[in-house]
Amino acid sequence: MRISITVNGDPVVRPVDPSDTLLSVLRGQLHLIGTKWGCLTGDCGACTVIVDGRSVVSCLQTVGQIDGAEITTIEGIAGRGRMMNDLQEAFVTHGAAQCGFCTPGMVVAAEQLLRDGVEPDGAAIREGLAGNLCRCTGYSKIIDAVLSVALARME
Amino acid sequence: MNGYYRPGSVREAVAFLAGNPEAVVIAGGTDLVIDRRLGRADPQAPLVDVTGIDELRGVRWDGDELHLGATATVREIESDPAVIVRASALAEAARVLGSVQIRNMATLGGNLCTASPAAELAPPLMVHDAVAAIQGPNGERRQAVADFATGPRTTILGTGEILTNVRLRAPALSGSCYLRQTVRWAMDLAGVGVAAWVLTDRTGREAAVQEARVALGAVAPTAVLVPGLESLLAGAPPTTERLGAVSAAASAACEPISDTRGTAEHRRHVAGVLAARALSIAHARAAGLWPGGLAPVNGRAPAAASSGARA
Ligand SMILES: Cc1cc2nc3c(=O)[nH]c(=O)nc-3n(C[C@H](O)[C@H](O)[C@H](O)COP(=O)(O)OP(=O)(O)OC[C@H]3O[C@@H](n4cnc5c(N)ncnc54)[C@H](O)[C@@H]3O)c2cc1C
Ligand code: FES
Ligand code: FES
Repeated sequence: MRISITVNGDPVVRPVDPSDTLLSVLRGQLHLIGTKWGCLTGDCGACTVIVDGRSVVSCLQTVGQIDGAEITTIEGIAGRGRMMNDLQEAFVTHGAAQCGFCTPGMVVAAEQLLRDGVEPDGAAIREGLAGNLCRCTGYSKIIDAVLSVALARME
Repeated sequence: MNGYYRPGSVREAVAFLAGNPEAVVIAGGTDLVIDRRLGRADPQAPLVDVTGIDELRGVRWDGDELHLGATATVREIESDPAVIVRASALAEAARVLGSVQIRNMATLGGNLCTASPAAELAPPLMVHDAVAAIQGPNGERRQAVADFATGPRTTILGTGEILTNVRLRAPALSGSCYLRQTVRWAMDLAGVGVAAWVLTDRTGREAAVQEARVALGAVAPTAVLVPGLESLLAGAPPTTERLGAVSAAASAACEPISDTRGTAEHRRHVAGVLAARALSIAHARAAGLWPGGLAPVNGRAPAAASSGARA
């Protein structure tokens, strides 16, 4: 099957096995390796991407189901021509990344949470990021980073 | 390349399944993709993707009847303002299922058709007396959601049949609640899940119970309705004494196993505690005494309903 999707603003037309996962197409065919290959069971969130304005775990998303969709990965979160957006900068200034393996999924999930208008409240952000595991930071700095952006974007 | 078919209508889906009995329906894929990779489902079986079928989508109200398409996502269900108020148990179960990412993908139909003993949406639908519509080679049939699962991972669906929608009524003076006990706060399956539904005769503290149902998840091979509640509750408000009898009936209805999420004994006890708590919240909602909003997660009692003891 041939799918045509938009990835980080670029049109992509590819022959794919429709039962392949979006994760394997992103990494294996499009060489977008910022999206991480973690548990493959939907538990860790390291593979999170945005599909048509909703965060999903790309390890469980078959590509046949998203023909025509608009996809944003960590490589496209900042927007064209920018290294980092405010959220990514907040991760740096708050020291919210250690080994960094969870960071792409964490940033993508948090970005969509912010776009959905999450309450600028630690508990709401924790609940919204419950599907993203981090083995290093203990989460506090990640929550602080997201909270700071939630507050800043309200202004 | 494996077979993959994306029908545009229920008729096309049913016709394809009739000609390809080995084909498997895929909706959100949050159970099936894992099962195929781990060999619990045939990874070569052709897929019938039902997410392109308009008539299977969405959450819709028609008066006091709620119509849930089979591919309505768990996220759509938890976000519907009328579901939160009128079918609170369903919203409370939906919002604790998996993570935001999982809820964006996971569907109502997939949850019922996987038929896990811990399926989150089964107990709330059962207490709301929901009816499932099934379409297959012999046309449409309807079946109470309470009779849909027949065992762990088995349902009444025959070869070539698909679930198309689930409907329930939320009449005035009714209220419901779902509470679950988990080891972790989020991203865990229920150790025990309890839904309660109450219909009262009026509003206010004196509101008597007219009808009541309690369903338990994760404590038997399928979700189960607790029998005999009518005689324990009908005709009076749910007093402490009556709630005690509900607890005993709920514990007695369990056939739990022991696993990492709890021993059989613990599950039986928690089912009783949560049944009484969920029933009193459902009554408060039916009687217009509930302040609004959803109950706290993980079965913790809100200050209004008890002394704040932990499940
Ligand atoms: C990380 C994680 C956490 C989870 N947490 C929970 C939880 O807390 N509680 C819980 O209950 N579940 C949980 N689940 C399980 C799963 O997300 C749900 O059961 C979900 O509702 C399944 O829906 P789906 O659309 O993804 O199903 P799919 O995987 O697409 O399908 C599941 C099964 O149902 C069949 N099917 C789907 N739709 C139909 C239909 N319309 N007609 C006939 N057959 C159909 C498929 O053939 C397949 O056998 C979790 C899963 C993951 C990965
Ligand atoms: S790799 Fe997808 S959730 Fe872990
Ligand atoms: S920074 Fe290492 S897993 Fe999160």
